[in-house]
Amino acid sequence: MISKEYRFEAPRELGEALSLLEKYGDDAKVLAGGMSLVPTMTLGLVQPDVVISLNHIPNLDYVREEGNLLKIGALTRHDTVRKNALVQRHCPLLAEAAAFIGDVQVRHRGSIGGSIAHADPAAGYPPVMLILGAQFRLQRTKGDRTVPAAAFFKDLMQTALEPGELVTEIAVPKLPAGAGSAYLRLHRVEGNFAIVAAAAVVEKGFKSVRLGLAGVGPKAVLVDVTARFKGGLTDAALKAMRGDVAEASADAYGDLNGDAEYRRAMAEVYAERGVRTAASRVS
Amino acid sequence: MRVPVQVTVNKKAYRVEVDTRMILADMLRDVLRLTGTHIGCGTGSCGACTVFLNGETVKSCSVLAADVDGQDVTTIEGLSAGAHQLHPVQEAFVKHQGLQCGYCTPGMVLSAIQLLKDNPNPSEAEIRRGIAGNLCRCTGYQFIVESIQAAAQAKA
Repeated sequence: MISKEYRFEAPRELGEALSLLEKYGDDAKVLAGGMSLVPTMTLGLVQPDVVISLNHIPNLDYVREEGNLLKIGALTRHDTVRKNALVQRHCPLLAEAAAFIGDVQVRHRGSIGGSIAHADPAAGYPPVMLILGAQFRLQRTKGDRTVPAAAFFKDLMQTALEPGELVTEIAVPKLPAGAGSAYLRLHRVEGNFAIVAAAAVVEKGFKSVRLGLAGVGPKAVLVDVTARFKGGLTDAALKAMRGDVAEASADAYGDLNGDAEYRRAMAEVYAERGVRTAASRVS
Repeated sequence: MRVPVQVTVNKKAYRVEVDTRMILADMLRDVLRLTGTHIGCGTGSCGACTVFLNGETVKSCSVLAADVDGQDVTTIEGLSAGAHQLHPVQEAFVKHQGLQCGYCTPGMVLSAIQLLKDNPNPSEAEIRRGIAGNLCRCTGYQFIVESIQAAAQAKA
């Protein structure tokens, strides 16, 4: 049993949820999958006065193709992201990252919008969203704006969300034809958050090479190493890339799973493996 | 604050009133008296509290009871009518010693059923990934994996 009392709201439509969010502001916590929120409430680390569940709102769970974009409803569960045919075909990087989130049970319940709004520095989606140039739709009772991933993730569990705002949709550009991608992560125990994770996208002919790194600072970072690979996948290019990764990992943190120095070292290893794997998948 | 919850558990409809702070696992055990669902860590790590929610496994310690209003839940009790009519996966766990103390077993069995539903012929590595969300503190994993392999073969 959670110790502190709170009011539970289960709106049946999005407008009602936004009105409740406006009414309660920072006193409320939004419950999506609840895979982080419910355990932290049980532990007493988060003690909201009001919990607003999104789980009874229809039509927040979808994947749609719109031109060059995939539009994903915020309540789409990780397991759906992993298995969805459109995601697998147009953004295999996103499907690959989703497959590594938590465990089977967590993927059944946890949602893409909830994970993004939670903004854990080692979570699966943020480096992928940065690398793909995703845009997040943030709605409130009297507003509707779109924020790019790079502007959304501000700091450790800090986002551009303002009181009363809700992430309702994630728009992900399709990968360019022929591009190779890879998501690799280091973890000690299956289901744990990554110690470090590297997402990589390599366009045909090394037209672009981008890395997204997680676990190397208070938020995920994007590292564009295109200039390093002008001459292809050479030792010199990889060495220069490791320098860029080291610079991007300057704010690495330490915890029980590894200190900052270890994270920086592993970021270089996983960045290199990521680029090599992505390059091998170019078609 | 108490809220009404209408929920179907093991094909039976219930109408109950629960404290908003109650997690699904506590509702199943303390309100519906279905004590086959076990609570280990209470924080989403161990998987002892695994149940089916709308046909997919979830950890019932990480779902609020108030949030299952209108939903469909299946617990370990829903698999069979009794000890003489076990589910084939339960039979395999009995036959291959897939349990020691038994605490993790309800969750393990439900995760195994989910796995075999998604992948009827899993490799050993796929079985280990399929039960990654369930911890056995007796560390009886080898026999658990063998039980699931046997259940897959029996089905095939």
